[in-house]
Amino acid sequence: MPYQFYKLLFNVLVFYFRDRKEWADLEPVPQDDGPNPVVKIAYSEKFTDVFDMFRALLQNDEKSERAFALTTEAIDLNAANYTVWHYRRVLLQALDKDLREEMKYITAIIEDQPKNYQVWHHRRMVVEWLNDPSEELQFVAEILSQDAKNYHAWQHRQWVMQEYKLWDGELEYVEELLEEDVRNNSAWNQRHFVINHTSGYSDSSILDREVQYTLKQIKKAPHNESAWNYLNGILQDGGLSSFPGLLEQVTELQDTCSSPYLTAFLVDLYEDALETNSSSYDQQEMFNKALELCKFLAEEKDTIRREYWNYVSRSLQNTYGSGDPVSASSDPPPPPSSSQLPDMEPSDP
Amino acid sequence: MLTIVFFALSGLDVLDALDVVDKPGLIEWIYSLQVLPTDDKSNLSRCGFRGSSHIGVPYSSSKGPGAPHTYDSGHVAMTYTGLACLVILGDDLSRVDKEACLAGLRALQLEDGSFYAVPEGSENDMRFVYCAACICFMLDDWSGMDCQRAIDYIRRSSSYDSGIGQGAGLESHGGSTFCAVASLCMMGKLQEVFSERELKRIRRWCMFRQQNGFHGRPNKPVDTCYSFWVGATLQLLDVFQYTNFEKNRNYILSTQDRLVGGFAKWPDSHPDPLHTYFGICGLSLIGEAELRKVHPALNISMRAFESLRQLQGAWRQKST
Repeated sequence: MPYQFYKLLFNVLVFYFRDRKEWADLEPVPQDDGPNPVVKIAYSEKFTDVFDMFRALLQNDEKSERAFALTTEAIDLNAANYTVWHYRRVLLQALDKDLREEMKYITAIIEDQPKNYQVWHHRRMVVEWLNDPSEELQFVAEILSQDAKNYHAWQHRQWVMQEYKLWDGELEYVEELLEEDVRNNSAWNQRHFVINHTSGYSDSSILDREVQYTLKQIKKAPHNESAWNYLNGILQDGGLSSFPGLLEQVTELQDTCSSPYLTAFLVDLYEDALETNSSSYDQQEMFNKALELCKFLAEEKDTIRREYWNYVSRSLQNTYGSGDPVSASSDPPPPPSSSQLPDMEPSDP
Repeated sequence: MLTIVFFALSGLDVLDALDVVDKPGLIEWIYSLQVLPTDDKSNLSRCGFRGSSHIGVPYSSSKGPGAPHTYDSGHVAMTYTGLACLVILGDDLSRVDKEACLAGLRALQLEDGSFYAVPEGSENDMRFVYCAACICFMLDDWSGMDCQRAIDYIRRSSSYDSGIGQGAGLESHGGSTFCAVASLCMMGKLQEVFSERELKRIRRWCMFRQQNGFHGRPNKPVDTCYSFWVGATLQLLDVFQYTNFEKNRNYILSTQDRLVGGFAKWPDSHPDPLHTYFGICGLSLIGEAELRKVHPALNISMRAFESLRQLQGAWRQKST
């Protein structure tokens, strides 16, 4: 009984579009899934009413204020409907709507649904039309303050910065975020993004600064893959084994800042020395140490990846060892390039 | 909506339970979602499959020309999942206007090599590169995309940490890494595009995503679906065998809903079709009993893949 009462009340309070006199000229268009509808979603009456009217407007390609108002209702019911957003953009232009107002609107929607693709795309379009990025960095920072790793937010931020060349202050912003959470991988990525697009890493004073900064963060929080990935990444071009004093600095950290990442980093450094046949290092020592650390990782430091480290060890032995090729007893005979994979055999792309 | 149907159908297929489904009925419904060329063929660049009938285009089972509608166009993810569902259901794709689909696809590619989802414009990223590659792979016709540009986009999306992001400069991510690697594998160009050294580093990046289950980015929580995104990538890179199957399996199963079934991203969370499907696929990769094997690039069962191969064989015969 109470349910029926509420339903009655609701019908009195909600004025369906189909019943409004300003909409009387428009015949609602239902969704048509044919004689055998497969996916029957139990839409509410309100939802059906709004979208039946939306379909009618779309069919006539109506460009009016009432159409614009309808899109607001439709978005409220389903902000992921990309057709509604597109139609709204058509109307924004056709009716020459106030884009500043639209910015306020989209700001509120994104705050409410920050992981929706369509809302971010819509914001980008409005920013482009206004050619005004002045609110963007602050807005994204606000969203990131609620979820510092929101991929959409970072994507929008990078687009704004690149499009409008807004690089100033970003390194400072990244450092603030890393102060708050040194394990924020998105912030580390952004650090690389900024430097890459401004000073670059080829200047040795920049590279030194970055290496020292990263080692400092590692000392604060040793078990941090993001910091180690950054260190490894920025030194790839020059080669890990070529950076002066790096082996010493990292080896020094082994006691106090031990982690699987540190050990893996050393394996990579040794491998780089082997690969470049560096005369600064005793090749045999590099080889032995690399294998020793793979074993250490497999047996103690990173046991979840035990089989992987054994595989790395075998690869190193096969590449740099002097003996017969090594394989695990469980290894199949060496595959002729990905025969374990389903035969792709595409036609010529 | 078609994407949800895909999760359900492909999931049932991997569970070898497709017999509960009304195949002819579903095939008809999927074909009703095809955006076909109109009489004057003026909408070729908008062809493909819709996600649902939400625009209000009158029902049509792909047996005549398309009905003109200003706002009617395909969506790259729907074209991909539409074709995949038809293949899974054993349809021969004879009612698919392949040329129209490919024309629609070409219209979606940007200069930088990535793709929009719809011709009206949308965001563009690695997800749609993957959808495009799947479409070309299934239709056995790469004229739907400029492969070299797509390859360039993929290379530019490699991060300093050797994972692959959604686009240049963006954070490396398990989902986009899968999309990129799987696309290259379907093109048959993985080893051409990445050196052995680069592949080693991608393997390393992926291997480090395992915590017990897998996560999508360093220092993020694990999530059931990455057992497939990252697991399949590792499979394509020949090193999935070196992951810890036990911990992966235990994690996936811990996200199962004891009341209604299905899997969620995390334990004690609401299950949904996406995580259920990818949980099943994640288990399939480790060889879970009673699950069909999954094609790690195309993301359909090997059974469905075999029937696709047969179909493609017949097409090639016909054209010679």
